[in-house]
Formats: sequence, structure tokens, C-alpha cells
Amino acid sequence: AAEPWPENAALYQQLKEEQILLSDNASSLAVQAFLQMCNLPIQVVCRANAEYMSPSGKVPFIHVGNQVVSELGPIVQFVKAKGHSLSDGLDEVQKAEMKAYMELVNNMLLTAELYLQWCDDITVEEITHPRYGSPYPWPLNRILSYQKQWEVRRKMKAIGWAGKTLEQVLEDVDQCCQALSQRLGTQPYFFNKQPTELDALVFGHLFTILTTQLTTDELSEKVKNYSNLTAFCRRIEQQYFEGHDRDSSTTVAARSAKRSLLR
Amino acid sequence: PQSIFQAYAKFSGAPLTVNTIINPWKAPIGDVPVLISEDIVISQPAKILNFLRKQKYNADYELSAKQGADTLAYIALLEEKLLPALLHTFWVESENYCSVTKPWFASRIAFPLSLYLPGKMSREALNRILLTRGGPPIYTLTEVEAQIYRDAKECLNLLSKRLGTSQFFFGDTPTTLDAFVFGFLAPIYKVCFPRVQLQEHLKQLHNLCRFCDEILTCYFRLTVSGHSPAGQDTADANLQKLTQLVNKESNLIEKMDDNLRKSPQHPPRKLTTLKLAAGGEESSPLNRLSP
Repeated sequence: AAEPWPENAALYQQLKEEQILLSDNASSLAVQAFLQMCNLPIQVVCRANAEYMSPSGKVPFIHVGNQVVSELGPIVQFVKAKGHSLSDGLDEVQKAEMKAYMELVNNMLLTAELYLQWCDDITVEEITHPRYGSPYPWPLNRILSYQKQWEVRRKMKAIGWAGKTLEQVLEDVDQCCQALSQRLGTQPYFFNKQPTELDALVFGHLFTILTTQLTTDELSEKVKNYSNLTAFCRRIEQQYFEGHDRDSSTTVAARSAKRSLLR
Repeated sequence: PQSIFQAYAKFSGAPLTVNTIINPWKAPIGDVPVLISEDIVISQPAKILNFLRKQKYNADYELSAKQGADTLAYIALLEEKLLPALLHTFWVESENYCSVTKPWFASRIAFPLSLYLPGKMSREALNRILLTRGGPPIYTLTEVEAQIYRDAKECLNLLSKRLGTSQFFFGDTPTTLDAFVFGFLAPIYKVCFPRVQLQEHLKQLHNLCRFCDEILTCYFRLTVSGHSPAGQDTADANLQKLTQLVNKESNLIEKMDDNLRKSPQHPPRKLTTLKLAAGGEESSPLNRLSP
């Protein structure tokens, strides 16, 4: 028996203005979009130690009733157990395709975001280090961000991305966007009329990339090359995020302005 | 990985010569497999495929844009969900590693590298699995193993559903995706390990087994029902099958394999590097072009 969705469900992420990084913001936005698409109300709560509160060490995580679930995959399953699903209407082959594309986004886009913010020295110096430890006093802020950097670089090395140059990473991003653009075509959503978790995931990543100001614009330029992807992001933003208190477009614009000022 | 390229090369008709790599240190970058063509050396799978494509050996010519995008997505799925379990079965699962992978691998490379390299590859495989899959809330290796095998079985199910009753993933002709899927599935399907949970699961998915068998018979000209060379036990017979899968049909290479297996401690008579040549090359006794 599924319990009803409580009113006080909360989504936890890092501090929006000062602390959160590109990849975490993308993941968080994806979950928010997904819950919006399911019509499940959620409150976004920003905490400096969100990463440590999370059961898997990754943000975002949601606190619903007396359960805590983190990351999009488990959250989708959790929501399904409560009786809400976006992908029930798909047949088996489409579900396989959807899972494959979600892996593509995680494999390429998320890894590229992580690479950019932790392995590209300029970005690390100018944006990541200042932001990541910002809620904490010195020397804790430096220690935490170096620790995280070491962890991410170790993982990059294990999967073979450590040897890549920035150009190669951007090329991978381009290839991924091309695949997404070709798959989307002229449809409103990836599986025609109804959005699914894949749409939420793609939106989370692409919207974040498009609206975050980094040291260079190369990453967002790669996405902007594909007009159907930018139209897709705008469409979802208008449909699911406008008219709410947390109007993403304005806060994100303010955030990106602040990001460029942070040195 | 080697099987992926050979499959792709077969599908696209690229003339391909494969030599066994005996000493990985002698390989240009220490990385296998390696593509060498007229002084250009490329060592990563995706790049090798891109290179072959640019040389006009394109198995994906008939695909639409959407199908090309699907290819990329499914390859990502394979790498994320199936590869950890594959690595685990070959390199981390102790019974499999000690009785099959390590002797086979060690018998094909020069001493004393054979003492060091298998261990290194095993450690790297475990490292990769733990770093990509081993975070909280999973805290023990058994839990990680359970999770990756669950994911791998789910991936196999998804592939089976996607393949359905078709001969190949995109219609009647094989493409890059078929090469990749074959490259991942063939070792699971054919190599006889003591611990075989993944193989058992695969054998229940009949359309995937049929897919592998068809590619083996059509493109690699191997009989599906293998025979045991006289006087060797079952493990060796399957090792030989796998060896044949990895090497091109070449009598000289096979003879060399037999010699190596019988005398694993002797340094090989010839040091050759793994070459996948897309263009013509001067022939050496070990090269044989096979269209």
C-alpha cells in the first residue's frame, strides 16, 4: 500500500548561491524537474553539509516521511513504489532505450562536468576551490576541497579520463549532445508526447550547462549548437518551473552573475 | 576489446592483420589493443573505430542519425552496467582468475612479465570497480559484487529485449553496436569459468546466444560446437576457443599458440606487436590478410 506523498517533502542540496557546483546543480535540477513532472510538491532546502547528510554521499537527496533517498535512479524507483511513474506507458524496447540514454548522459555529460570542475586547473583554481569550501573557515575549506579533488581525480584515472585533454572532453560533450539532438529530433520530449525521467535528466544537465558561467563559454557553446536542445530546455523550464516561488530563470541568472564575480 | 575490433573490421570489410602481443612492454604505448597504420598509432577503442570510419571502412553507413545516436547510448549502457561484471568475472573473482585468466594470460607473455602483469591488471580491475561502484551505502565487497551482477543481468535483459527477434540490432546488416555487443558477450558466452553466474543468465536469453553464434559462424568461421584438442582438459579447450576468438585464423599464429602453451617459460621466438592495419603493409610471415 503506497503512502501518500507528504506535504513537507524536502530536497536537500548545497547552498545555491555560494557553494553548489556544476555537476551537483545539474543532478539536483534533474530531480526537481522529475518531481515537478510527476506533480509531486517538494521544497528545496539548502544546507552546507548536504553532501555529508546524504546516505550515499551524493546530492541531491530527498527526505520524504521518514525515508531518505539520494540520486535520481533510486529516487525514480522510490517514487514508483509510491505509485507515480512517468515511464509506465513505454514498451519494453523503449524502456531499454531510455535506460541506455540515461547512461549516456551520466557517462558523458556528468563525467565531463566533473572533469571540468575538478581536473581543469584554471576552473579548479578560480571557481571550484573558492566555492566548494566557502561555508567553512580556513583551513578547513582548503582541506575539504583538496580531499574531494583527490577523490575525483582518482576516479577519473580509473575510468581513463585523467589522460584526456580539455579539447577531447569538449569533443565528447559535443558527441553526446549530437546524439541527444538526433534522438530528440522535432519531438517535444524524448518519447514523444509525455516527459519521462530521461527528459528530466537531460534538462537538468543541459540547463545547468547553458546557464552557468564558467571561465570559458566553450561548454555552453557546444550545447547551443543544437537548437532543438535549447528549445527543449526552454520548453521544460516554462512548463514546469515558471510561476513558482523558485523561478529558476531569475535565480539562475543571478547565480551565474555571482559566479563570474567569485574569484 | 580485441573481439570488438575484429568483429567491427569483419563487418565493415577492413583488411585486418592481427598479431599476438607477446610483450606488452614492447607495444608502442604499453597499451593493448593498438592500431598501427602508416606511422599513426592509436590506442583507444573509440578512437580506433573513428579511425577505421574515416578510412571509409564504415559499418554504420546505412544507419539513420537516430540509430547512430542509439548506438552511442547503448555503448554507454554496456560500459556502465556490463563492463564491471565482466571485469569482475575475468579478473577479480578469485577462482576464475586463478584457474583460467591468469594461466592463460601468463602463458602468452614473456617471463618475467608474466609474473607481474596479470596481478597488475587484476588490481586495476578491482580498483576500477570499487571506485566507480563502491561508494556508500555499499560498504563491503560482497555487496558491490551483488550490485554489479544485478546490473549486468539487467543489462543483458535490456539487450535481449532490444534485439527481439531481429538478426542484428539495426536490421539485417551488422553495425558498430553489434560489434560492441558481440565483443562484450562473446567472452562471457564462450569461456568456461568455474564461477559462471553471468554465463548461466546469458544462456537463458536465447536470442542473445543466437546472435553470438551467428556472428561466430558467419564472420569468424568457427564451428559453434567446439572440439577438445586431444590430451587437454576442458579449460584448455575453451581457452583455445577464446584464443581463436582473439586471434585471426592463421595457421602460423595457432602453431605459435600451441608452442607457447606447452612451454610457457620459454621466451617466444618472435616478438610481434598487435597490429590492426587498415592499409596495406609489407608482409611478414605472421601477417595474413583475411577479408
